[in-house]
Amino acid sequence: MVMSQGNKILVDARGIACPGPITEVVKAYRNAKNGDVIEIWATDPGFEPDIKAWIQRTGNQLLDLRKEPDKIVAVIRVTAKK
Amino acid sequence: MSSVKKKVIIIGGGTGGAMLANRLPRDEFEVTIIDRQPYNYFWPWLLYIAFRGSRRPIKREIRSVLKHWVNFIQSDVRVINLKDKYVELESGKRLDYDYVVIATGATVDYSRVPGLDKVTEMYGNYHSNEENAWRVWQTLNSMREGTLAVILAPGAYRCPPSPLEGTFLAEEFFRRRGLRDKVRIVFATFYPRPYPAEPINELIEPLLKERGIDYITFYTLDHIDPEKRVAYSMEGEELKFDAAIVIPPHVGVDIKYVPDDVLDSDRFVQADKFTNMIKGFDDAFVIGDASALPVAKTGVTAHLQADVVARILQGEDAHNTGRTNCPFDVGYGLGTFVISDFNNSTIKYPINRINHLFKVAFAAAYWDIILYPELWDSIFEAYFEATEPAKLRYLYR
Repeated sequence: MVMSQGNKILVDARGIACPGPITEVVKAYRNAKNGDVIEIWATDPGFEPDIKAWIQRTGNQLLDLRKEPDKIVAVIRVTAKK
Repeated sequence: MSSVKKKVIIIGGGTGGAMLANRLPRDEFEVTIIDRQPYNYFWPWLLYIAFRGSRRPIKREIRSVLKHWVNFIQSDVRVINLKDKYVELESGKRLDYDYVVIATGATVDYSRVPGLDKVTEMYGNYHSNEENAWRVWQTLNSMREGTLAVILAPGAYRCPPSPLEGTFLAEEFFRRRGLRDKVRIVFATFYPRPYPAEPINELIEPLLKERGIDYITFYTLDHIDPEKRVAYSMEGEELKFDAAIVIPPHVGVDIKYVPDDVLDSDRFVQADKFTNMIKGFDDAFVIGDASALPVAKTGVTAHLQADVVARILQGEDAHNTGRTNCPFDVGYGLGTFVISDFNNSTIKYPINRINHLFKVAFAAAYWDIILYPELWDSIFEAYFEATEPAKLRYLYR
């Protein structure tokens, strides 16, 4: 589920197994502009290495990646869209 | 038993809709299927039209795959009003129901990738219709050298293995024609690895390398220039090609829903993953590709969901397990299956010849399975039990 507020986009990918969370990230990325912030919530353990690799490959900016008791939270700033 | 039959309207006469209709007992339900066109399609066969030039028919009249007591109306649906419990046809006629089941499938949206409509016109694809699948076959046959790109556009799509199935079958095609050293094949995907689920990828990635197929991951297709023959990603990468076959973004079909917040941003219908009940309604369900559920858009999902919804309508406490069983053709008569469920991640299921034969055998039996689910149930039950991911995970790691 994607919710948008100003230039912040929240992607709730909890309860979705791999590759669901990265699909949701790409969906949000597709509609985002440079400068937007995307916050993703996921529970799939594969999400953490995937999002790190995605950041490395795409050249966007990872602002925060943390584990909370019930979810993994990643916060991304979109900077690399051409 | 009540003497008044419950009215069930199923919108869509594809795999899920037809299977559900044929499962509902005639003495309890009055079932009506509505579809905009008269045919039931076996979509997986587009792959073999595109890459093998197969002339096997892929459609049959919907009427011919339904039990004779199921009603069929050929019409567009204008409105599905879940609040007031009616379905409005193109003619303006309203049909009320006790239960409604959305089984409209998915459609493709070329407008989401600028240039994609033109590229499809030039080279075809195998995710939309027969005409485009034949165009792929013409593309392969007209190539003598250069780069063939198979590109997975970002978003939902039917049949998780299909982008790579096409890539492998294209490789086989050019090798058998003696052109393999002149044609470069490149597969581009927005996922972190060629096949998104790691256990299957452990089988697939080495095979791509072995067959000399190039691949690009994290490639989020943005737009294509058909004249220059370049596909651009959102990351600014340029993929040059001589021919490109793009798996287009899929979306839900264009029908007005009341309320419209049951749809997600891609027009797929949101529902409970265990019961397929549409959020907020206990008399409305969605099955198959039309749903926004985090499950594969594949025939086996529609088949199993149709079974669960049929049992719920009959008052049983049934629920989905999230089981997938997607056949995966890797060329040269070899295949695997993508097997998982809600509780078990994908199994590293070995590639062999039998798996490919299962895929072909299923295709041969497809319409019989739809029309006589009661005869095939015991075979499928035995198969699904023997291949439960909870058991297989101990065999194949």
